[in-house]
Amino acid sequence: MAQTTPPAPMAVGYALILLGIGASAASLNISLDQYGRWGARVFPLACSLALVLLGLMELRSANAGSRSERMPQSPVAVLTLLCLSIGYVAVMAKFGYLISTAIAAPAALWIFGVRRRAGLLLAAILCPLVYHLVFFVGLGVFPPYGDWFDLLDLLQAD
Amino acid sequence: MEIFAALATVLTDPVLLGWVFLAAIVGIVVGAIPGLTASAAIAMLLPLTFYMDPLSALAFLYVIGKSGRYGGSIAAILFNTPGTAASAATQIDGYPLARKGMASKAMKVATVSSVIGDFIGEILLIAGIVWIASIALKLGPPELFAVYFAAFVVIGSVIGKSITRGLASAALGVLVNMIGLDPISSTERFTFGVFQLSNGISLVPLMIGVFVLGEVFAQIDARGKPSGMLNTASMDPDRNRLTWADYRPCMPHVIRSSFIGAFIGMLPGLGSAIAAFVAYGEGKRRASNPEGWGRGALEGIAAPEAANNAVSGPSMAPLLTLGIPGSTIGAILIGVFLIHGIQIGPTLFLTNGDLVYALFACGLIGIVMYGLIGYYGAAFVGRFITRIPTSVLYPMIFLTSFVAAYTSRGSLFDIYVMIGAGFLGWGMRKLDFNPAAFVISFVLAGGAEETFRQSLLLSDTGAAIFVTRPVALLFILLGFGALFMRARSLRRQSRATALRDT
Repeated sequence: MAQTTPPAPMAVGYALILLGIGASAASLNISLDQYGRWGARVFPLACSLALVLLGLMELRSANAGSRSERMPQSPVAVLTLLCLSIGYVAVMAKFGYLISTAIAAPAALWIFGVRRRAGLLLAAILCPLVYHLVFFVGLGVFPPYGDWFDLLDLLQAD
Repeated sequence: MEIFAALATVLTDPVLLGWVFLAAIVGIVVGAIPGLTASAAIAMLLPLTFYMDPLSALAFLYVIGKSGRYGGSIAAILFNTPGTAASAATQIDGYPLARKGMASKAMKVATVSSVIGDFIGEILLIAGIVWIASIALKLGPPELFAVYFAAFVVIGSVIGKSITRGLASAALGVLVNMIGLDPISSTERFTFGVFQLSNGISLVPLMIGVFVLGEVFAQIDARGKPSGMLNTASMDPDRNRLTWADYRPCMPHVIRSSFIGAFIGMLPGLGSAIAAFVAYGEGKRRASNPEGWGRGALEGIAAPEAANNAVSGPSMAPLLTLGIPGSTIGAILIGVFLIHGIQIGPTLFLTNGDLVYALFACGLIGIVMYGLIGYYGAAFVGRFITRIPTSVLYPMIFLTSFVAAYTSRGSLFDIYVMIGAGFLGWGMRKLDFNPAAFVISFVLAGGAEETFRQSLLLSDTGAAIFVTRPVALLFILLGFGALFMRARSLRRQSRATALRDT
C-alpha cells in the first residue's frame, strides 16, 4: 500500500483540540452520582482528553513538515445534497412521506446529473409509490405522517 | 457434531435456503459495484431483517458479508477499480491478466481461491469457537476491559494511513456512544437539553449514515471519474479455461493465505484489506516466479483472494465469544442480535447454541452458492453492473437510506442522526480518519465502560487492578505493542518514500 501524507494536519489538529476541550467541559458538567463519585464522567472525560492529546500530536506532525493541504475539491455538490437531505426530512415532517419523496427523488436525480424530464417525472411518481408499498404496506412500518398535510389522509379517506 | 445437525436443518428449510441464495447474489452484486461495500449493503438492509426470524436475518446478512468480500474481486479484475479495499490486492495481478484477454480465467481463480479460503476460515471458526468461548467464560471484568482497550488501540491505530486520526476516530466513536443516559446512574450525558438525545444515538441510523449516505456523498464528490470495463464477451474461451494444471501452483499460496487471513480475522478490527495485502506480500516473497507477480500471475490473484475471504469466519470469533466485533460487518450483526433479544458473549453457546451452529451452516452453504454463482456468472455480473448508471443508482441508494433509517425506530430524529453521520462519514473519508474504527468503537464503548466501572468496584487499589491481573496486563501490553509496531512500520514506510523521492 502506498503511504501518503494525511491531508490538512494543522486544521485537523486544531479541530481535534477544540472538540476535545469542548467535550472535556461538557464531561465535567456531567453530574456526580449519589455518592459523589465520578463514575459517569470518567469515560467521556478520558476520551475528550485523548482527543486533545491526539490534536496536539497532529499539530506536532504538521510542524515537523509533513504538510499536505488536500481539502475537498468541489464541496458544492456535497453541500447541495446535504441541504436536500435536511430539506427532505423537514418536508417529510410537515407533508408526510409521499409528497416529500415525490420532491426529493427527482431532486436527487437532478443533483446526480439526470436531466431527462420523463425520467424525473417517473421518479417522482414511482419512488414514493414503491417505497411506500415495500416499507409501509409490506413491512407494516407506521409511516411518518405530515403535521400540516398528508396525502395518505386523502387516499385513506376514499 | 452440532454442525452436521445444523446443516441438515438448514438444507431442509427452503425459505432459509432462499434467503441464503438471495444474500449470495446481493453480496456479489454490491461487492462488485465500485464504491459500494458489503457493509453498506448490510447497513441499508438491516431494518428489513427486523421483520424476519432471527436465523434468517443473521444468515442473510452474514452471507452478504461473505459474498460481498468476494464480489469486490469482479470490479478489481474487470474495471481496474477495486470493489472493496481488500480487492485492491487482487487488482494488482487481476487487471493485467484481464488485459491479456484472460479476465474470465482471472475471475475463476479468484472464485475458487475465495471459496477455499472462506471454507478454511469457516471450519477453523467452527472447530475453535467453543474452545475460545470456554476461555472467555473465565475472564472477569478487568480482563474484559483490557481486551476492549486492546481492541480500541488496534482498531484505531492499525487500519488507515494515520495513527492519530485512527485513534481520534475511535475516541469520537466512544464519545458519541456516551450521549444519553448513563446506564448505571441514569445521569444525563452530552444531551444539552435535547429530549431526543436522552435515548442515546441509535446504532442503525448511525451505521446507515456512515457507510451508506457517507458513500453517496463521496460519490457525488468524485463524480466524473472514468471507469471502463473490459469486454469479456469477445474473449477466447480456450485461453479462459481453468484447468487443474493451471491452478495447482496456486494451491500452496491459497492454503498459506487462508491461514494468514484466518489469523488476522480473529484480531478485532484488522479486517480483509490487511489480510489480503499481507498474504500478497508473503506470497510474492515465497514465490518461485516473483518477477511475474504484478504482471498477471494467477498466484497473485489466488493469494489475496483466499486471505480476504478467510477473514470472514474467524472475524466472528471475538463477536460471538466476547461481544467484540472484529469487523464492521460484525458490528452490524451485533445490532441484529440485540434487536432479536439474543445476548452475545461466552454464554451464547449455552443459550442459543443451535442458532449459532445453524448460522455457521448457512455460512458454509452460502460459500457454495456464491462460488457457483461467481464461477459461472461473474462476467455476467460485471456486464450487469456496467448497465446500471451511477446517476440513477446512487440517488436510489440515497432515498433508500432515508426510509431504512426511519424504519429502525419509526423516528424522524433518527433520519437527522443518519444525515449527520453521513456527512461525518464523508468528512472522515476525506480527511483520512477511519469510519470503521468510529463505528466499531461506538459499538464497543458500552461494554468497555461497564467492565471498567465493574473493575473499579471490585478493586481495592483503583486502576492498578488492570496491571496486577496478568491476563489484563497482557492484553494492555498487546494493545501498546500493536501501536508501537504500527508507528514503526509507518515511520519506515515514510522514510522509504522520502529516500525514493530524493
